[in-house]
Amino acid sequence: MTLNDTAHGDVLVVHVEDSRIDAARAPEFKTAMTERIDQGHVRLVLDLSKVDFVDSSGLGAIVSCLKRIGPRGNLAVAGAKGAVAKLFALTRMDRVFPLHASVDDALKSVAG
Amino acid sequence: MPGVVRLSIDSDLNQVEFIARAVRSLCDNLLGREDAEAVELAVVEAMNNIIKHGYQGRRGEAVDVNVTLTRSEVEVEVVDHATPIPEHIVKGGEPLAFDFDATDLAGLPEGGMGLTLIRMSMDEVDYVSRPGENRLRMVKRIAAR
Repeated sequence: MTLNDTAHGDVLVVHVEDSRIDAARAPEFKTAMTERIDQGHVRLVLDLSKVDFVDSSGLGAIVSCLKRIGPRGNLAVAGAKGAVAKLFALTRMDRVFPLHASVDDALKSVAG
Repeated sequence: MPGVVRLSIDSDLNQVEFIARAVRSLCDNLLGREDAEAVELAVVEAMNNIIKHGYQGRRGEAVDVNVTLTRSEVEVEVVDHATPIPEHIVKGGEPLAFDFDATDLAGLPEGGMGLTLIRMSMDEVDYVSRPGENRLRMVKRIAAR
């Protein structure tokens, strides 16, 4: 699982470079995200623009990141499309993570 | 055009993607993009549940997937020899939609969504468990074009 970071002020944008976040990859994804959060990155944008499939295990890992951040910060999702956006809608997680079309839009929502 | 394709993988989460891609490409010419994606999600959730809960992560067991294509529907049958899904869950113990308090951060679900997603994604779902064998049958009807 490849994640690339770009810093925008105090917001860390995490670009998921793999096309899938599924049950096989979710544990590694969760560990990598938890490391970032525990290093103090509590304002995060998760860029899913290269991802074309997420299953409920992948979604659960994203939810666990939000819980880990807790009231200290925020996690916004950018670039979710097709089946990925549909999963957020089906599970009603789009109420928890507003889906932003672009990283720029997401940055505005998480900036303090 | 009707036909049956039989696929089989080892009970390893890393192999679920192979079935997902195979089923997806079988569906692509028959179903629209959204319906093909729904079938892919249902198949992946079914296989994940079997491997994680049925086989409890144990590798070296077979998970078989039979895909039947007809003019009117795509049927995917997933067959395993693992511990069956508990009856109270099969019998509608799980809600048909997701209902949780989006403002209760600690209470957000992180799992247990698979079977509900399967039911939402497919037109028909049934599950038959016999001693030593479980069969989950899922049908997506082909929309008239």
